[in-house]
Amino acid sequence: MSEPLVRFDPVPGTSFVRRDLTIHLAPPMARYSLRARQASDVEALLGTTVPDKIGLTIGNIACLGPDEWLYRAAAGARVATNHISPVAVTDIRERSVCLIVEGLRAAQVLMSGCPLDIDGFTVGRATRTIYEGVEILVIQVDEDCFHVEVWRSFAPWLWTALTTASCH
Amino acid sequence: MSGYRLSDGGRVNRSQPVTFNFDGRSYQGFAGDTLASALLANGVMLFGRSFKYHRPRGLLGAGSEEPNALVSVDRGAGRFTPNLRATGVEIHDGLIAVSQNRWPSLKHDLGAINDRLGMFLPAGFYNKTFMWPRSFWDRLYEPAIRRMSGLGEAPTEADPDSYVATYAHCDLLIIGGGPAGIEAALAAIADDMRVILVDDQDELGGGALMDPALWPWLAASVKTLRDAPNVTLLTRTTAFGYYHDNFVGAVERLTDHLADIGEGPREKLWRIRAGEVILAQGAIERPLVFDGNDVPGVMLSSAAKVFANRYGVAVGRSVALMASHDSGWHDVFALARTGVGIAAIIDVRETVDAGLLVKAANLGIAVKLGHSVIGVKGRHGVSGIEVARNDGMAKAMIACDAVLMAGGWTPSVHLWSHSKGTLVWRDDLGAYVPDQPNENVRCVGACAGAWDFGRGAVIDVLPTPKDHTRINAFVDFQNDVTAKDIKLAVREGFKSIEHIKRYTTNGMATDQGKTSNLNGLQIAATALSKPVSDIGLTSFRPPYTPQTFGALAGHAKGALFQPTRKSPIDSWAEEQGAVFELVAQWRRARYFPKSGEDMHSAVNRECRAVRSSVGIFDASTLGKIEVVGPDAAEFLNRMYTNPWKALEPGRCRYGLLLKEDGFIMDDGVSARLAPDRFHLTTTTGGAARVLNMMEDYLQTEWPDLNVWLTSTTEHYAVIAVQGPNARKVLEPLVEDIDLSVEAFPHMAIREGHICGVPTRLFRVSFTGELGFEINVPAAFGRALWERIMAVGAAYDITPYGTEAMHVLRAEKGFIIVGQDTDGTVTPCDAGLGWAVGKKKPDFVGKRSLDRPDILAPGRKQLVGLLTEDPNLVLEEGAQIVAYPDQPIPMTMIGHVTSAYWSEALGRSITLALVTGGQGRMGEVLHIPMPAATHRAVVTGMTFYDPDGVRLHV
Repeated sequence: MSEPLVRFDPVPGTSFVRRDLTIHLAPPMARYSLRARQASDVEALLGTTVPDKIGLTIGNIACLGPDEWLYRAAAGARVATNHISPVAVTDIRERSVCLIVEGLRAAQVLMSGCPLDIDGFTVGRATRTIYEGVEILVIQVDEDCFHVEVWRSFAPWLWTALTTASCH
Repeated sequence: MSGYRLSDGGRVNRSQPVTFNFDGRSYQGFAGDTLASALLANGVMLFGRSFKYHRPRGLLGAGSEEPNALVSVDRGAGRFTPNLRATGVEIHDGLIAVSQNRWPSLKHDLGAINDRLGMFLPAGFYNKTFMWPRSFWDRLYEPAIRRMSGLGEAPTEADPDSYVATYAHCDLLIIGGGPAGIEAALAAIADDMRVILVDDQDELGGGALMDPALWPWLAASVKTLRDAPNVTLLTRTTAFGYYHDNFVGAVERLTDHLADIGEGPREKLWRIRAGEVILAQGAIERPLVFDGNDVPGVMLSSAAKVFANRYGVAVGRSVALMASHDSGWHDVFALARTGVGIAAIIDVRETVDAGLLVKAANLGIAVKLGHSVIGVKGRHGVSGIEVARNDGMAKAMIACDAVLMAGGWTPSVHLWSHSKGTLVWRDDLGAYVPDQPNENVRCVGACAGAWDFGRGAVIDVLPTPKDHTRINAFVDFQNDVTAKDIKLAVREGFKSIEHIKRYTTNGMATDQGKTSNLNGLQIAATALSKPVSDIGLTSFRPPYTPQTFGALAGHAKGALFQPTRKSPIDSWAEEQGAVFELVAQWRRARYFPKSGEDMHSAVNRECRAVRSSVGIFDASTLGKIEVVGPDAAEFLNRMYTNPWKALEPGRCRYGLLLKEDGFIMDDGVSARLAPDRFHLTTTTGGAARVLNMMEDYLQTEWPDLNVWLTSTTEHYAVIAVQGPNARKVLEPLVEDIDLSVEAFPHMAIREGHICGVPTRLFRVSFTGELGFEINVPAAFGRALWERIMAVGAAYDITPYGTEAMHVLRAEKGFIIVGQDTDGTVTPCDAGLGWAVGKKKPDFVGKRSLDRPDILAPGRKQLVGLLTEDPNLVLEEGAQIVAYPDQPIPMTMIGHVTSAYWSEALGRSITLALVTGGQGRMGEVLHIPMPAATHRAVVTGMTFYDPDGVRLHV
């Protein structure tokens, strides 16, 4: 009874590979939603520079809105949530899973259902958007590599949709 | 039998014969043929029957404007496509096409009786004739009319094909691959911009495809475009709609033209966002309106040229031209050069350019100026025409096997109109042309009115000595609208083209009046004695041509139809054989039947377990919102009806949320974790709605508050452990939380760890029993559930579903928003007046609670009902009356909102909304149901453990 609880994730743990495209589940990570009036408040809390323009990423911190930052880090990283601070910190580490879409066709596969001009993205671009009817968060982490954050219960649908789209 | 394959010419591949089948007969054509050109080459003139009169019809055009030649293509089970234009169906080996709207055969069609009765079927006939008796409409008139009319058969089998979709972005989208579109693309190559060129034909070229002199230019241009890395060429792609901000929908047909469709998708939907759009859609030739203008073999002059020069097919051996425009003359000169015999040129104009007359004379073609065709001989194909001078004299017969109509040109402004660009009338063209754009779009080439087809006269109906009410001069070929129908509409008082259109159905067929709109306008304008521009113009709407449902649906079928959201514990429930129900987008376990159990016995067993020992329930789908910031309590105080500021950290409170109108919107138990942090819960279906509403207030009403909202619904798996043994089950699993009554009272929250993972542990109850709700990070939900099941086995822990949850909460009189409320129920109506903070200065909905109609007596209020027969479970939704002996229709005073068998009470229980219900305690009310009218006594809503002692153990 004392062994640790095992994780269950909503999509397969094995990579999907089709021609020059792979889709796979990112390992567990820490995720915090940081909300504040000023970027400087967030910088003070984290002790690092954060982007002050919506859609940009610095390090592992993305600015998603005028008062919203997403902090993603290796599993185990913690941001204190138990003291009064000008930054509203909410632990959302398990709210979403991250699908890594990688390969020359990565942007093309995402654009099969995402209305944004992903060809026009640059590395570091992070934005909340949709894939067909499902809300996603797209972060371009490399020339041909995107992180797609999706809430857990929508992940199986998105996995099927992306893998289906990448077959065509 | 008059069309034939020319000995040479055309762009078809004569070395690649193709065998296909039409109406059960095998034919041969060449690769590159359409069904229309290949059948024409085989001498087939008859392609279909018309919509209303079942008149024999042939080809009118050669492209997407074709109104007549609609066929069905059958590619096997589930792959039956009706209403395809024969001019757009590319032939391939094994193609099977059939004609439509005829029975028993195309040549012998019983429905053609309508044609003989035509004079009894004027515009508005159905509306006028089948009005009475009203009851006959649904069962007799409509089904009979639908059988007689209509186009092809709707397919009945599921479509096995797959369809794909994509978004695409470009700086320049060019729609139309004719010379104007190609020139525009060539001009853009040098600029470093992304260009997409869309064309609906199998090859680029548009009008250039019927002009061999342009072919070298075309080949070179297409090669240049293909080699350009910044140009995407999409052929067989129809841009069907133009939406806001230069968003254009287009469908690419991928396999319909292939003999072997392979495994790939059939069509691809392109959703294109363009910086600039260039419309180069060209123009469509206009038919002329005269008696018999729909006989197979009467067609557009330009179509004959397309068939000859692009497909190498002559439309007849002896062809007559009826013109009001120079372009027809040039067409027949081109035909004459390919060896087609020209019977005569008839032009309604008294004079034409001398150069045309010289050319005609040089080619030996007889010319009749100031004349018109007044009749066409032949039924299934033209055998001759009758002509007369415009004053009705000098009648003569001319033998011919095809009649070409050259009535001038209509710019294709469909997509321009979708984009809300304005149009301006040009008298010299007799047509509307694009004027002011509404998007970043421009028109080039013929669709902008820039053409070099020569001059023409605009004429509504050709002069004829015949009685105008007795002739069949068609305007809308697909909907069988004649000139006399439009004149009748005007006589009956219709003055606007919008009304005339709807009364006559002119332009309302699947071709959206591509060949009929302008003629209809001219005829109506003449009948009204007004300029065309004074009677308005009907609007074009997407799609430009009919598109398949498959292309629009794309992947959205089967598993991808829409997401079914599943909780982290759903997989366990599925393995246990749970029966599921859908709640909003979620699926939830409704009950867990053991072998041989029906729902009733499973739910009873689950309820017994919770009341007597312990049950376990997956509450993960409940909405959760983390409210964080120094003003969090102030914010909640303004949102919810009850006071929140004094709630101590570590405690929970039931929150009731109203809309501005004072009616209940949502509810849920929420906890204060710290002075600046709350954990809210909402109903499963209300989660997104509540978050949106709160964000709305925060951003628009109180932007000064320092508080932020974050959805945490999916971060947590929530396991409810409920029942007298709940504490005993959890004690060995929880590591750092004291579960004792003293340390952890009802409506409290503690943070700690369970089985090594962090938890927010609520002591709350929706069952009326001692209960806990364990929030853990979602990934560990299932493993924790199984751990609890293992420990709970000693207490016969029983998983229960939403159905048992509903029964247990109803026994306690806990409402479910949306089931016991319907958007018109106030807190007082629901017996929740205690949850309204009387001293609070304001909260959302407060003012509305003082409205006179909210305070007035006689509102519907939520009460309990106990049926006199304890075994009877009322139907939810059943109406309630005060006296059973009233005459029908009775005065209904309410309805049943919840009704269950209560295993704990050994009888049925009911919640109901009843007019003045709270003042009717002890009254007997009556519930008429199909078999009998039942009696029930009004009671309070708490049926079980009214003092709540079981909660506090």
